[in-house]
Amino acid sequence: MKGYLGEFEELVLLTVASLGEEAYGVSIKEDIESRTDRSLSIGALHSTITRLEEKGFIKSWLGDPTRERGGRRKRFFELTHEGKLALHSMKDLRDELWKISKSKLALSR
Amino acid sequence: MKKPIRPPRLADRLFEWYCNRAAVEDLHGDLEELFFLNLQRMPIWKARLFYWRSVLSMMFSYALKKRKRKAAYHHFSTNNSLTMLANYFKVATRSLAKQRFFTTINVLGMSIGMSFSLLFIALISFLRLYDTFHVNNDRIYRVNSMIDDRVRNNEYASSPMALGEKIKHEYSGVEEVVRVSTAFSAEAKYETLEIPLRGYFADPAFLEVFTFPLIKGNKSTALSKPNSILITEKAAVKMFNEQEPIGKIITLGGFGDFEVTGVLKDIPKYSHMQFEIVSPYIAWETYRKNSEQQETRSPWEEFRGNYVYMLLPEGHDTEALTDYLTSVSREVYTGNEKFSAEFQLQALNDIAPGKELYNEIGPDWGYASLSIFGFLTLLILLPACFNYANISISRSLKRAKEIGLRKTVGGQSNQIFTQFIVETVLITLCSLFLAYGIFLLVKPEFMAMLVSAEGLDLDPDAITIICFVLFAIVVGVGAGAVPALYFSRMNPIQALKSKAPAKGVARISFRKILITGQFALSLGFIMAVVIVLKQYRSSVNYDFGFNQANILDVDLKGVDPLLFRNEFSKLSSVESVSLSSHVIGTQGSSSIWLKSVQQSDSLEVFYAAIDHNFLPNLNIEVVAGKNFGENLPDNGKYIIVNEEFVRQFKLGTPVDAINRTVVLSDSAEVIIAGVVKNFHYMHLREPVRSFFFQYDAKQLHYANLKIHSSDMLSTFNDLEATWKVLAGDLKFEAQFFDDEIEEAYSVYFVMVKICGFLGMLAISISCLGLLGMVVYTAETRTKEIGIRKVMGASSFQLAIMLSKGYVRLMLIAAMIAIPITYVFFDKGLLNSSYYRVEIGVVEILISLMIMLVLGLATVLSQTIKASRSNPVDTLRYE
Repeated sequence: MKGYLGEFEELVLLTVASLGEEAYGVSIKEDIESRTDRSLSIGALHSTITRLEEKGFIKSWLGDPTRERGGRRKRFFELTHEGKLALHSMKDLRDELWKISKSKLALSR
Repeated sequence: MKKPIRPPRLADRLFEWYCNRAAVEDLHGDLEELFFLNLQRMPIWKARLFYWRSVLSMMFSYALKKRKRKAAYHHFSTNNSLTMLANYFKVATRSLAKQRFFTTINVLGMSIGMSFSLLFIALISFLRLYDTFHVNNDRIYRVNSMIDDRVRNNEYASSPMALGEKIKHEYSGVEEVVRVSTAFSAEAKYETLEIPLRGYFADPAFLEVFTFPLIKGNKSTALSKPNSILITEKAAVKMFNEQEPIGKIITLGGFGDFEVTGVLKDIPKYSHMQFEIVSPYIAWETYRKNSEQQETRSPWEEFRGNYVYMLLPEGHDTEALTDYLTSVSREVYTGNEKFSAEFQLQALNDIAPGKELYNEIGPDWGYASLSIFGFLTLLILLPACFNYANISISRSLKRAKEIGLRKTVGGQSNQIFTQFIVETVLITLCSLFLAYGIFLLVKPEFMAMLVSAEGLDLDPDAITIICFVLFAIVVGVGAGAVPALYFSRMNPIQALKSKAPAKGVARISFRKILITGQFALSLGFIMAVVIVLKQYRSSVNYDFGFNQANILDVDLKGVDPLLFRNEFSKLSSVESVSLSSHVIGTQGSSSIWLKSVQQSDSLEVFYAAIDHNFLPNLNIEVVAGKNFGENLPDNGKYIIVNEEFVRQFKLGTPVDAINRTVVLSDSAEVIIAGVVKNFHYMHLREPVRSFFFQYDAKQLHYANLKIHSSDMLSTFNDLEATWKVLAGDLKFEAQFFDDEIEEAYSVYFVMVKICGFLGMLAISISCLGLLGMVVYTAETRTKEIGIRKVMGASSFQLAIMLSKGYVRLMLIAAMIAIPITYVFFDKGLLNSSYYRVEIGVVEILISLMIMLVLGLATVLSQTIKASRSNPVDTLRYE
């Protein structure tokens, strides 16, 4: 399914959006790890990023070389329009489900 | 100063190596940044460990996989564009055309090596079709039996007569059971015509299970009447010519009259059943019941020539059936001490090629013989490939500049690799044409060597041809891989300087090992030919201890022997007639028959029944006592033994043994009337053991005529005329004794042929390889030769100097091959024969001479040429 968005993919997309200009591999990893309290392997993260790029939800470009990282460039990511659409449709779906199941989801007994 | 902390080196290197050309700068950067981040959070060792983990996780990630894939299609590294291949092709043809001599050697060698493989491929490709034409071929099974009769324990393709019936009645999980018996072969008679036909008795479901197509007749009723018979188209034409076969009555030997109810399409060669006629199984059972020679063996012990086939339903379960068969075997044979059998299922598609079984119904193609064949194929093919690699590498100097230039202008090593592979494939494809020519040439000869050749069709079809071409390409890639790898690794600087690339000692000795190995192989084959030829000749010319010349053996086929003797003695060309139970000295006859004689112990004794003329007729010398008398009533009480008999039973001297009494196993007492000199009554594989002659008119099945005639043709006509009077329409089957002996040992002759052929291939390949090497050496040493000549070396000395190394290699080869071949024949093959030739120095020397002469001729032809060259020319040569 082309437009399907997994849970982790959604998380990565939202993190890319929240990081704005500073979204690249390590920053995304650190951000997700600090927010969700789970540890990611950098390989798995890049796998997901590559798939998201394949699906057309994010685009990327190489930054300028700096003295950090042994002079290696960073690859930055940014949401595309499709990416935004996918996030929106996901959110709509969520909202709708929340609305429907309001009474059952109440936390009080 | 403290060194700055860095991520683990090895991990970095591993990562870089793994990524190769893929663009992973950002990923690598991420890894490093992460490492330094971790340094602030944890101890160094932990951060290092973490780095390793990250590298590994990255290596297995999809991100890297994708990038690597992308890199593989990068325009810079693409190496399979059609233009480039076309260019390789062009360059290859040019360089092949330029070096005509070496191209010829290579093509010749490869085609010789490949020719034998083509035979193998054609055979395999033919076997692949086997039995696939039956519609339900995946559901047909046969019952094989492991027969244990306390003497032998062998696996047979046949199974006991009673088994089929039992399965049919007891086991519901099979669709059809068909019993097939091969006993149905006889002279078929229609009006005046008489032709031998052979075929099967089979249950009516035969045509349901096996879809042999019927041209005429009704499939469902064709075998319903007990006297119906199906006949193949070819046999029908033989029998009835153009007439309509359906409804015709034919008489088959002792089986009675049969009515033709159907005509089968000719049986394809790729069927494991080969027959001309089929009749219902009931006819066979009836025949057995009426037949007087009904043996006392129970139908559970009679299994030869009797097969059970089953058609299983869709989605069948062979396991349950196997269990059932095991239970049958247990039920039937428990308590039987002399005979037992275990049954196994064999799928139709596993029959041919399949495992080796005794008593196969048709031509058998065992895995074992096929793998020996395959091994021989490799033994011929591999040296040819090695030769190619050898010659190509040794000529690397000539190509070095081209490769250096290619590399300098940006040729990748895998492109150079591909280029040389293309060149090799081109050579093997050229060789294929030649090899195909050789293939067509040797095919008939080859098929004549094979036992089951009559059911063999090696004419290549389209798929076989495709296989041939694929094979040539595979061989090309295989043989070209080594030189291609070598060239692609060449250092461009060295190559352009035209310096021979650092030649390690290893490669030189590798080349020498190759040549030595090839010559050892050739010598082995040559020795095999010489040794087996000697064994064959000595077997045929062996002094069997009796006269074979001018003795004609006639199969009596049930004609009264005494009548035969009387009638044939009247002929002028027949000197004398004797009778015997079988043809002695050969193997195939019914000779091997054990009988124990009880004295103190019972011993295994062989015997033959003869009449009184036999001993004088065959010139068997009587040492003591006397021959059987003519037509004496008490002849049956006497036996004539050989010297070995006397020795084994400790009867003293031959004279002492006369009139001693021995007891035969059926407790009949007999008296020794005479002692004959030892002679070979069996195949020479067996030693001469205790043996005796008996006078028993009932057992005489052969007549031995001593012919005295100058005009064989008219003699034969006389003989046949007399035979007609006695035997009516039965065929007159006679053969001269020496021919019969020769036939019995023809297996050696077949071996000579095969070894000779293989040896020829092997030695040609070795000589071609040697030729290539010598020519190359002579070429590269032109200047040296010139200088030596100027300094005063004679042509003779130079020729010796150039040839010395190769002669040494050949001698080493001989030192390897001679002991191995000797042991192989001495301990293995010839050992199975009791009276065998000794492998003497002469045989070894002859083989060695053949190899040395051929090898030396090759070497000297070139070295003499090189040493004769004018130093003025050679020194100018650049």
